[in-house]
Amino acid sequence: MAAGNMGGRVNSTDVIVEAGRLAAEGKPYVLATVVNVVRPASARRGDRALVLPDGRVSGWIGGACSEPAVVREALRALADGQTRVAQMEGECASEGIVEVLIEPILPAPLLVIVGESPAARTLGELARTVGWRVRDDGVEGADAVVVATMGHGDEDLLAAALGSGAGYIGLVASAKRAGSVLAELRTRGLDEEAVLRIRAPAGLDLGPSSQEEIAVAILAELVAWRHTRREGPLAAPSEAVDPVCGMTVAVGPGTEQTVHEGVTVAFCSAHCRARFEAEPERYSGLRAP
Amino acid sequence: MRDVLETLERWAADGTPVAIATVVGTERSAPRDPGAVLAVSAGGDVAGSVTGGCVEPAVYGEARDVLAGGAPRLKTYGIADDEAFEVGLPCGGTVHIFVDRLDPELVAPIAGAVREGRPIALEIKITGQDAGAKRLVGPGEDGPAGELLARGETGIVETPEGQVFVSSFAPRPNMYVFGAVDHAAAVATIGRYLGYRVTVCDARAKFVTRERFPDVDELVVEWPDRFLRSAPVDERTVICVLTHDHKFDVPALKVALETPAGYIGAMGARRTNEERAERLRAEGVSEEDIARIHAPIGLKIGSRTPEEVAIAVAAQIVQVLRSPKKEEVLAQ
Repeated sequence: MAAGNMGGRVNSTDVIVEAGRLAAEGKPYVLATVVNVVRPASARRGDRALVLPDGRVSGWIGGACSEPAVVREALRALADGQTRVAQMEGECASEGIVEVLIEPILPAPLLVIVGESPAARTLGELARTVGWRVRDDGVEGADAVVVATMGHGDEDLLAAALGSGAGYIGLVASAKRAGSVLAELRTRGLDEEAVLRIRAPAGLDLGPSSQEEIAVAILAELVAWRHTRREGPLAAPSEAVDPVCGMTVAVGPGTEQTVHEGVTVAFCSAHCRARFEAEPERYSGLRAP
Repeated sequence: MRDVLETLERWAADGTPVAIATVVGTERSAPRDPGAVLAVSAGGDVAGSVTGGCVEPAVYGEARDVLAGGAPRLKTYGIADDEAFEVGLPCGGTVHIFVDRLDPELVAPIAGAVREGRPIALEIKITGQDAGAKRLVGPGEDGPAGELLARGETGIVETPEGQVFVSSFAPRPNMYVFGAVDHAAAVATIGRYLGYRVTVCDARAKFVTRERFPDVDELVVEWPDRFLRSAPVDERTVICVLTHDHKFDVPALKVALETPAGYIGAMGARRTNEERAERLRAEGVSEEDIARIHAPIGLKIGSRTPEEVAIAVAAQIVQVLRSPKKEEVLAQ
């Protein structure tokens, strides 16, 4: 079994069950499915595997020949969020062509709504229908924070939200009260750049609105924000070139590695690592930077 | 007041005297809209709310005073008012609340009309000599109260004798969704949140099922244009054409444009829209009418899933019906 595998033969059905479990837990992963094969190849159409963000693989996706390349593409997909078909050709001398559908499954963004108000309640319900995860306490790990307390400690909550790493921070308030809350944050010494990150009042300006309409305006702004974010949901993977076979491999905890002359070298498989370790001087010219 | 009607009916049946505090006006942000009611029975029981907790204790005191024989009164709570700090309204907004006794005989007609979907309004005199005077307003009545009811709006009317608050219990406005597609289910769900009575209509019976549309008010198997010819449509009506199939869309839009509907939206990529506009022109529809169609439907917020498209549609409906002259706001 290939280097990155979690061990134990995992059949196609187990992969689906495991995928469901990860999705339910809100964990990111990639579902890789072989969609086409030109023989000779060790993979068959319908083979599938999960790839986790640390590069570990669960399932069968063609073994040592195509697996490192699948992992590499999978980690790229986790970084940019785009589904793709990767064509594995000539990765191994014995291989034909294997086409793999790479589907990144990213956890739904987490919206934290602080405060009790009819608009906050409706926003929470609507956000769930759009597939967001919604919590009403603790800003840690939130992608978006909406403060809707109607005035009970907005400044403290906004300051906490600014420190949480949330990309969207909104305040439900009238334009007038929003102005005074932001002014208070400035007198507390928050820099202008931080204050400007707060959307106050939160939501697209749709005209004077009922509580339900305010919730719709905020959710519309959240949807727009989610789809215009520039950075990917996960950090771009680190990659290295296997000095033995020349393949680009993703470097993670499951990657075959060795330290040669103080430099870490990564391999697509234990086989390549063994060959390197037997004659390091032969391959060190190709060594990955 | 809708939310407390059942309780009010019970109290009326028991002969319990009741005071109601009604939000008659708000300035800037307020947690509840005009028409929201806090009802207090002679026994001290409470139903409903006027601000979601901010000023309830103070309002409760006023209601008890009215029940003890005090005069009807118009109270203002807001940040500008010293009393605001006392009662703890931190919302930065101002609410005007009218507190008086509620005649039990007014409850049954309102509850009955709401149940049967008939429009009715409760008119309350809130200033002047006879503050607290109330009467019911039926549909088709002339004058400012009748006009508010026709639009389904609640608010204050100025009269020579003083201010009158009109609380409209209009039936929910209609949202007609044509095309029993995935997007229709999502649009229907959010339409219900916004207070619409939602009908999904499609000529293809196998798509029009309760399983696919568990939370719509009415499912209709019919050609959309035929359905629309006999369906009630007024300025509050919303029409969403989602089939993106010209053979259903074009006749439906043609009929929709003959109605006073407040919002007409049609789904489809740019080419579909251009072709559809071309076919409408061929049917003799004017450019002015074609411009009434919001297409592609929904604000441009980058929606991908049907649920996200539904949010974009809902946001556009709010924007169009709330501020018809404003240009579409694009997400930054």
